[in-house]
Amino acid sequence: MLAIENCRLTWPDFVADYSLTVEAGSLCAVIGPSGGGKTTLLHMIAGFETPQSGRLTFNGQNLLPLEPAKRPVAIVFQDHNLFPHLTVTQNVGLGLRPSLRLTDQEKTLIESTLDAVGLKGFDTRRPGEMSGGQRQRVALARALVSGRPLILLDEPFSSLDPGLRRDMILLVDALRRRRAVTILMTIHTPEDAADVADRMAFIADGRVAASGPPAAILHGSLAPRIAAAVSNT
Amino acid sequence: MTTLKLPHPGSLAALAILGLVAGGFIALASFDGGAPPLPSIGPYLGRVLAFTVGQAALSTLLSLALGIGLALALARRSFPGRGVVLAALSTTMVMPTIVAVFAVFAVYGRSGWFAELLAFLGWKGSFSIFGYPGILIAHVFLNAPFVARITLDGLNQIPTEHWRLAAAFGFTPGQIFRHLDWPVLRAELPGIAGLIFLMCFKSFAIVLALGGGPSRSTLEVAIFEALKVDLDFGRVAWLALIQLAICLSLTTLMHWAFTRPPVGHTIRSLVRRPDAKNRRLMLVDAVVLAAGALFLAPLALSVLTGLRNIPDVVDADLLRAFGTSMTIAMAAAFIACVLAVALASAARRRRLVLRSPRMAALYDVLPDALLAMPPFALTAGLFLLIQRFGDPSAAGFILLPLINGLAAVPFTYRYVAPRLLTAEERYGRVAASLGLAGWSKFTIMDWPVLKRPLAAGFALAMALSFGDFGIIALFGGTELVTLPYLLYERLGAYRLDEASAVGLVIVLVAFLLSHLSGRWSDARD
Amino acid sequence: MLRRILLTLASLGLAAGLAQAQTKPTLTIYTYSSFAGKYGPAKTIEERFEATCNCELTWVTAEDAGSLLGRLRLEGQNTKADAVVGLDMNLVAEAKALNLFAPHGAEVKDLSLPIAWKDDTFIPFDWGYYAFVYDANKLPNPPKSLKELVDNPNGPKVVLQDPRTSAPGLGLLLWMQQVYGEKAGEAWGRLKPRIVTFTKGWSEAYGLFLKGEADMVMSYTTSPAYHVVAEKKSNYKAAAFAEGHYLHVELAGMTRTTKEPELAKKFMAFILSEPFQSAIPETNWMYPAKTPAAGVPVAFKDLVQPEKALLFTPEEVQQNRRAFTDAWLNATAR
Repeated sequence: MLAIENCRLTWPDFVADYSLTVEAGSLCAVIGPSGGGKTTLLHMIAGFETPQSGRLTFNGQNLLPLEPAKRPVAIVFQDHNLFPHLTVTQNVGLGLRPSLRLTDQEKTLIESTLDAVGLKGFDTRRPGEMSGGQRQRVALARALVSGRPLILLDEPFSSLDPGLRRDMILLVDALRRRRAVTILMTIHTPEDAADVADRMAFIADGRVAASGPPAAILHGSLAPRIAAAVSNT
Repeated sequence: MTTLKLPHPGSLAALAILGLVAGGFIALASFDGGAPPLPSIGPYLGRVLAFTVGQAALSTLLSLALGIGLALALARRSFPGRGVVLAALSTTMVMPTIVAVFAVFAVYGRSGWFAELLAFLGWKGSFSIFGYPGILIAHVFLNAPFVARITLDGLNQIPTEHWRLAAAFGFTPGQIFRHLDWPVLRAELPGIAGLIFLMCFKSFAIVLALGGGPSRSTLEVAIFEALKVDLDFGRVAWLALIQLAICLSLTTLMHWAFTRPPVGHTIRSLVRRPDAKNRRLMLVDAVVLAAGALFLAPLALSVLTGLRNIPDVVDADLLRAFGTSMTIAMAAAFIACVLAVALASAARRRRLVLRSPRMAALYDVLPDALLAMPPFALTAGLFLLIQRFGDPSAAGFILLPLINGLAAVPFTYRYVAPRLLTAEERYGRVAASLGLAGWSKFTIMDWPVLKRPLAAGFALAMALSFGDFGIIALFGGTELVTLPYLLYERLGAYRLDEASAVGLVIVLVAFLLSHLSGRWSDARD
Repeated sequence: MLRRILLTLASLGLAAGLAQAQTKPTLTIYTYSSFAGKYGPAKTIEERFEATCNCELTWVTAEDAGSLLGRLRLEGQNTKADAVVGLDMNLVAEAKALNLFAPHGAEVKDLSLPIAWKDDTFIPFDWGYYAFVYDANKLPNPPKSLKELVDNPNGPKVVLQDPRTSAPGLGLLLWMQQVYGEKAGEAWGRLKPRIVTFTKGWSEAYGLFLKGEADMVMSYTTSPAYHVVAEKKSNYKAAAFAEGHYLHVELAGMTRTTKEPELAKKFMAFILSEPFQSAIPETNWMYPAKTPAAGVPVAFKDLVQPEKALLFTPEEVQQNRRAFTDAWLNATAR
C-alpha cells in the first residue's frame, strides 16, 4: 500500500499538502486542474521533490530517505522519456542496467516485454523513427522491466489522439493485472479511465480534495469542479 | 504537382557566399592579367604548412580538453560569481591578438608574474615560453573558454526529463556522461573543433611573437608577405586557395566523421544534475576549476593593468572610435545573423526534409570557408570587385561590416543551426500538417525558438567585430577609426600604456556583450 | 514644430557643407595610421597647410608603409590619393613600378640627410637610423658594434621584427647584409641563440622590450628622444655601432591621377618647408629632412650620431630581397 500522510512542500507562491492512500495492485487515476499539483505529487513520490514534513511509505517502507534510484518506483513522463541516440532495446534496457551490459536472459525479458506492449520487432529502431504512441509504449515497457512495484505515469498519453489514448489505458490496465503492480496515473480526461481505475483522486490547490471510487468522484459533489477543470485545459 | 518554386533563401545565401569568395579570389588571381603561375610548394612552404597544421591541431586538442573539462565542472557546480565567470568565458576569444600576446608575457614572460612567483619561492633558474609552450598558452587562453561556453550552452539543452530519468535509474557518473553529456558533446564537437582549428591555423601575430623564430610561422605569414611586401596578388590568391583547401577538407572530414546524432527535445534544464553529489566528481571538478582558474585568471587579470591609463584615453577620439566600432559591429552582426539563419534553415531542410545529411554537412561547412579565407585576401578581392561597380573611397564603409559580418557567420551559425533543427524536430510535423511554409513557418514555428539564440549570436558577432583589426589595416582612415585601430595607432606612437587602456575598453565591451549574449541564450524559451 | 526646426537645421547644414565643398578644393593624402593619429604630425601639418592654400586636407590611412602601397596597388588608376606620405626607401622600386606617381617638381636642396638626394619622384620628409635600443639601467655596457653583438655568445638578448612583415625587420636584414655580405647567414646563426623572437611588427617588439623580455630591441636612434621628451626618462639609449647604421628615410610622392595637380605640387613643395619640417621631430620622432632654422629639439641633439650611413639602393633591395630573406630563413629557421 502506498501511504502519503500530510506531505507538505512549500514554494514562495505555492503550497502543497498531500494525504492519500493507494492499495497495492490497484490503479489510481489522479485528476484535477492543471497547476493544481498533480505532477508535483508524482515527482515527490519518485523522489524529485522532498517534502518538508509528513510521511511517505510504500508497503511499510519509508521512501523519504531514499534516492530516486533506490525507490521501488518507476516513472513515465508525458514526453522526453527516451534517449534519441539509443535503440528501443537499449532504452528499455536502461530500466534494468544503466550500464547496458545486458545478459541474454535480460534481453529475452526485454523482448517479451516489448511484445507485451505491442512492439514486437521494434528492438533496433530509434525513437525518432517512431510515433508518439509507440514511444510511450517503449517507456511503459521500460517501467515494467525494471521490476519496480510502483509505476507512476504522468499524463503519459495526453498527447495521443482519443482512440489511441483509450487503447493505451486498456493496455496499462491489462499489464498491471498481469504483473500485479501498483499504478498511479495522472490523466486529463477522467472518462478515459473511469471504468478501469479502482480509485480516483481529485487534486486541486496542492491538496487531495477527494478520493474514492471513480463513480463517486465523477458524480459526487465535486462534479462541477471536475467538469470545469477538464474543460479549462 | 508542378509549381514553380523560388530557390530556398539558404541556397541563395550559400551561392552569394560562394560567389563572394570565388569572385574575390578570381579578381586577385587575375589582377596582373592571366592566371598566375602556381607557386611551387617547396621545402619552405612545406615546412610552414606542416608547422601550421601541427600547432593548430595541438592548440585545438588542448583547448577542447580544457574547455570541455571546464564546461562539465561548471555544469555540475554553482557558486557565487558563476554568472560573471560565464560571461568572461566568451570574452577572451575576441581580444585583439596584441592584447593577448602582452597578457601572456605579463604572466609568463621573463619578468612576468610567474617568474616573480618562482623567484619569490627561491627558484633561480630561467625559463622561456617561446616556441610551442608560448603559442599553446596563448591559443588555449583565447579558445578554451569559448569551447567551455559553447559546450555549456549545449549541455543546458538536455531535457529535464532526462535528468530525472538518470536519477530514477541511478545512473553512475560514467553512465550520465555516456547517455546525457556525450551525445551533446558529439553533436557540438565537430563544429567547435573546426572553428578553433581554423582560428589557430590562421593565427599569425601570436605565432610570430611567441614562436621565437621564423621556423614557427604560419601560412598566413606567407600570405601577408606576398600581399604587403611582394605585392604579388597572384601568389596571394594561390596561397589563400591552399589555406582554404586544407581548412575546408579537414573541417568537412570532421563533420562527416562525426555525423550529428539525433537531438533530444529541449526544455531548459532546471534540475540539479544527479552527479553533482558524487564525491569523486566533486574532487575532479574542484581540480579542473582550480586549474582552469589558475591558468586563465592571471592572463585575464593582466589585461586589467590598463585600468590606470583609462583616464588618459577617454577623449573625443575614443568616443568617436567607440561609436564607429559599435555601428560597424551592429551592421556586421546583422549580416552574420541573416546569413546564418538562411544557411541553417537550408541545412535543416537537407537534413530532415530531404534526408541528405551529407549535403547538409556541406552547408555546415560553408560558413567555415569564410573563416578559412585569409581576411586580407578576402578584403583585397572584394575591394577589387566593388571597385568595378562603385566609388572605391566608400569601400571601407561597405567592406568593414561585410567582412566582419562574413567572418562572424561561423559563430552565429553555431547558435542558430541546432535550435532550428530542434524546432523542426519538435514542430515540423505539425507545421507540415498545417501547411506552414516559407515566411509563415519561420514566424510561427522558428522565431519563438530562435529569437534568444539569435540575440546571443548577434551579441557574440558584435563582440567579434568589435575586437577585429584585420582589415582596418588596409582600409582605416581618419574617417573610419575603430577602437582596435586606435589601439594600434597608439602603439605606433610609443604610447603602450594608452594602447593597453584602449585594449581594456575593447575587452570590457566584449565582456558586456557576452554577458548579454549569455543572459539571452540562457533565458527560458 | 520640432520637425520643422530639424528640417531647417538639416538644410542649413547641407547648404553650408555644399558651399564649403564648392569653394574649397580638397587634397586627399594617404599615410600610415600613427602619422595621422592623435600624437602624429598630421593635425599640425593640416592646420599649417590649410592656412596657406585655401583648401582642405583629408587623411586616409593604412596600417603601415607596406599596407599603404598594397592599397594603392589595389586601387590602381582609380585611387583617390592626391599625395602619399610615408613610403620608405625599400619600397621605392615597387612603388615606381605601379606607374602611379608623378614627378613632384619641387626644389630639393639643403637637406640634412646623410646621403645625397636626386630622385624627382619622391621627396624625403624625415629620416633616422635603425639602432638597437636598450635600458642603460639594466645593460650598462652595451655592445659597441654589430659584430660585438653578433659574436659575443654571452651578449644581450634581443627582440627583433620579422623581415617578411615589418619595415625595421627588413632594415636589420639589410644592415646585416651590409656588414657581413656573403657571410650574413653565418652571422644570423651566431646571433640566433640570443634572439628572443621575431615579431610581426615594431609595436610588438618594442612592447616586449619595455616589458623586460629582452635586453635590446631593434628600433631607431631617435627612439630615446621620445622617452626623454614625453616621459622624462633618460635611461633608454640607442647603442652606437662602429660599422655604421642602416638608414631609414621616409618619403612622400604625388600621384599621376590627381585631379588637383597644382595643389598637389604645392603640397609637395610644402613638405620641405619650415612649417612641415618643424612639426616632425616631436610627433613622428624622426629627424626632419631639412633642419628647421631653430634646429632640432634638445633631446635630439644628445642622440647617437652614427659615423656612417649604410644603405642599399631601392633597385638592389628589389633584386636581392628574396635571396637575403631566404638566407636569413635558412640560418634562423632550424
